[in-house]
Amino acid sequence: MSRPTSRPAASDPSWGERSDLDVLNRDIPRVDGPVKATGEAVYTHDVRLPDMLWARVLVHPVPRAEIESIDLEAASEMPGVVHIEALKEPGDTVRYLGDDAVLAVVAAETPDQAADALGAIVVQAKRLAPVVTPEQALEEGAPVVSRRRKADSNVGRANERGDEAVADAALAGAVAVVERTFEIPIQHHVCLETHGHVVQPAPDNDQVTVYASTQSVSGTPRGLARTLGRDASKIRVLTPHMGGGFGSKFGPGLEGALAARVANVTGRPVHLMLTRADEFAIAGNRSGSRQNLKVGADSDGRLVGLKLEADKLGGVSGGSLPGPPYIYTVTDGAAVFSKIRSVHTATDGSRAMRAPGHPQASFAMEAAVDELAYLLGMDLVDIRIRNLESAVHHRQLRRVAEEIGWADHPNRDRPGAAVNGRAVGIGFGVSVWGPGGRSSRCDVTVRPDGSVVSATATQDLGTGARTYVAAIVAEELGLTVDMVEARIGDSDLPPSVTSGGSVTTGSSAPAIKDAAHKAREGLEALLTDVLEAPVGSYVWKDGRVSVRGDASRSLPWIAVCALLREPLLAQGEFRDFLHEGRIHGAQAAKVEVDTLTGRVKVLKMVTCQDQGLPLNRLALRSQINGGMVQALSYGLLEQRVFDEQDGFLLSDNLDLYKIAGSQEIPEMVALIDDEDERPSVCGMAEAPVIPGHSAIAGAIHNACGARLTRMPFTADNVLETLYGKI
Amino acid sequence: MKDFDLKLPENLDAAIGELPAEYTREGAQVLAGGQDIVTVMKDDIEQPAALVSLQRLGLDGIQWDGDGGVTLGATVTVQTLADDADLERAFPALREAARSIGSPQIRSQATLGGNLNQRPRCPYYRHPSVSCFKKGGSVCLAEFGFNKYAAIFGGGPSYFSHPSDLATVLLMLGATASVSGPDGERQVPLAELYVLPEESLETETVLRPDEILTSVTIPAPPAETRSSYLKFKERASYDFALAAVAVSVVLDGSGVVTDARVVLGGVAPKPWEVPAAARALTGKSMGPEAWTAAGAAAVADADPLEHNGYKVHLVKGLVFRALESLA
Repeated sequence: MSRPTSRPAASDPSWGERSDLDVLNRDIPRVDGPVKATGEAVYTHDVRLPDMLWARVLVHPVPRAEIESIDLEAASEMPGVVHIEALKEPGDTVRYLGDDAVLAVVAAETPDQAADALGAIVVQAKRLAPVVTPEQALEEGAPVVSRRRKADSNVGRANERGDEAVADAALAGAVAVVERTFEIPIQHHVCLETHGHVVQPAPDNDQVTVYASTQSVSGTPRGLARTLGRDASKIRVLTPHMGGGFGSKFGPGLEGALAARVANVTGRPVHLMLTRADEFAIAGNRSGSRQNLKVGADSDGRLVGLKLEADKLGGVSGGSLPGPPYIYTVTDGAAVFSKIRSVHTATDGSRAMRAPGHPQASFAMEAAVDELAYLLGMDLVDIRIRNLESAVHHRQLRRVAEEIGWADHPNRDRPGAAVNGRAVGIGFGVSVWGPGGRSSRCDVTVRPDGSVVSATATQDLGTGARTYVAAIVAEELGLTVDMVEARIGDSDLPPSVTSGGSVTTGSSAPAIKDAAHKAREGLEALLTDVLEAPVGSYVWKDGRVSVRGDASRSLPWIAVCALLREPLLAQGEFRDFLHEGRIHGAQAAKVEVDTLTGRVKVLKMVTCQDQGLPLNRLALRSQINGGMVQALSYGLLEQRVFDEQDGFLLSDNLDLYKIAGSQEIPEMVALIDDEDERPSVCGMAEAPVIPGHSAIAGAIHNACGARLTRMPFTADNVLETLYGKI
Repeated sequence: MKDFDLKLPENLDAAIGELPAEYTREGAQVLAGGQDIVTVMKDDIEQPAALVSLQRLGLDGIQWDGDGGVTLGATVTVQTLADDADLERAFPALREAARSIGSPQIRSQATLGGNLNQRPRCPYYRHPSVSCFKKGGSVCLAEFGFNKYAAIFGGGPSYFSHPSDLATVLLMLGATASVSGPDGERQVPLAELYVLPEESLETETVLRPDEILTSVTIPAPPAETRSSYLKFKERASYDFALAAVAVSVVLDGSGVVTDARVVLGGVAPKPWEVPAAARALTGKSMGPEAWTAAGAAAVADADPLEHNGYKVHLVKGLVFRALESLA
């Protein structure tokens, strides 16, 4: 066992001059790309343990009911059933379609046996009024479904900001005023890997192993400690590969607690992954909203007044929506009034989802800016620049405008019209985010044989985190990425952060850098006697170390490591000065609208994004592309559908809950904003998902004059906006 | 999904012998590519005790009759219809329809016969917890509930829209199905193959439970026929039709339509021929005026529900675009 190297650092780590970088700020193929492409990578879904049971949950099909009986007898006698348990008793109520609607859990020897046993459970229940729409929730005498204590209605307390009279006066004096009501549906996260765990129990107080599809490897032991009846230190969580979370996988949830409980009771490993239908019913979503937004501008296009009244639709949760004006500036801040409340339905509570609340706010605000520009005959880019404070936004908007071909576009200050039913338009949107950075640790070990391990508990949600865990160390030590082994996804490794709010890179990367820097200085301390230069005066490059300014005094990497008598362990921690979390972004979209059929085809999307030093340009562009795709899918297709009569979730599958596929994907250009020369790193995943659907809606309007005020932009929506509802 | 027996008969008579004379939810059913029946079983809509595979019956041939007509075996895959060069030359609309179906994986497994005999896609019908007319129940929840994808023609008491792309295009092409049962073989024109909910709720076709659709024969098209199949998918990558149009026209030397046929898909519980649209074209010059008139005629009798009125606009647009592509 190696011991920490205890010597004071000769200098603080730094990301260095960009021109000196050999590994970072380049395209680095992800280190786990091949195992993911070949299927060799083991996700939680793929874990198979000897003697493992397959568990499933039974979700009540409608949101509200009084349970009369849950008869498990026939199911318990089905072949292969090992454990079956009801979670509700006669007389209990199902209050909403979410974790409260889980009626039973079954574990069997095979997945099919578990599914068959679920089907054999006989539930007698009195179905109650569903309360799945805001209209139903707001009806006089509607059943109260809110989870707030002593709630007497389904409306949460309104959050009012500003002085309505001041806003009204400013709007009355405005040269141009636009007022619209926007409707934004609930979006699912649609993680490729559904929620779930595989729990391997252990006798007495031995360590339990939990494979988890989680955004919080380090936090999950605490989340399961009570259920598993042991200290968090006796629970090891493994997430070697993870199929996406987008904010929905911060904790083990009911499904994790049930997996742990069944493993405890049966003493056997338990595999409990939600089906897609379960996932859509109980594993969270992005809240919807209804926003009535009124914005006024002066003759120069400056925003002078704003009023927003909004309902957040987060099911039994509150939902999210940032206050106005979203990103843009109103000349007199006192002329902004907002009243935002939650309207609760008996449906699954919203969870964090990639930039919670922001895409919803963006949709309304960008639409208002577009319409003011047209009322005033202003260029869509000019009006944005006039109302955005940051010069970063200004340059990013100009870059995306250039890339999308704005200067040659005919409809810059007014919407176009279709020719033979076809029209092309361009739209814009901007984003902001403050990706945090906080306590995180990393161990770097250098062995006498030259091998290097970089280890931190962090999870790779599919973002490429694993790759920079190796690459940052390779850069510091003058190695190639393949010479450093990245170990992640294990709660026994040095703790890392929960991946939420784009904090992972801003937290982990500084700790990795710190550990790598300490390892380098540890090695340089050994070299002072060999190459006769003090710590801090070496250049590590191309697998060699040499004395700065004297290339003749040099050793290959393997010879340096041979000086070690035992492995060198360097422990890094979060260093705040290596991180800065303040980012912007701009997007443009170009679409073709067929006004005869309502088809919207996105032709091209462009993003320009800043984030300080790009650790891995390839992964960065991938994540920007992913943001654009997710926003495009949200805008074009995604919509949760409930039957309003009885409350069935009709879209509990990927047939009816439609997400973009290959044919929807346009030409995509991800521009890294290299004018941002900050010597810091941060995550940026939220920013590129914020404005894409807004830019598409703007492009549709720009093409043919149809302002879609609800999402998604499906043919029914386009045709009804153009020609009215039949 | 309930356990079932897989029957692998070696000849047609043996296959027919495995099928029940009367429909029941548990009765044996035909298995071709399995792309629909297996999902029907997984969603607990029907629970056949046995599936009778057509795999060993040699129904996967394509035979040309020498006059330009062709007979397509029931188990010819959709991908074959999408790829076959001779079919493409003779019946381009058929290829367009085949290529619009499902995904490459599904097309490679799905068959002509299976596509023609697939069950509704209505989300209520497919939901395991919902009872409806089509599942022996006493209500159509789509009538007053979520009916965005439902029928605008021919609905009642059930309002599903038929999902088959091939049915729409084959009806336009004047095809005839060969159907075999205990009493031998009969020929059923595509125009007579499907029934409306008002005629039957337990099935969508005139096939009896113990009959097997073995092939489809398409007659040679008249000389100078132009045809097209235009399908509107909400999700372009992979979807059933919101609406679709199969159209053919014959033009004289001066560009005047001398004959036309227009069949709509995705808008009725069966493929929906609109003779009025064909009449609106006949005698007119191919051009926007005639296309617009044909679209208007196509939807004249539409009777939309609360959420599917857009299909009226959409069908008009699709008729226009399909004809435009033939100009």
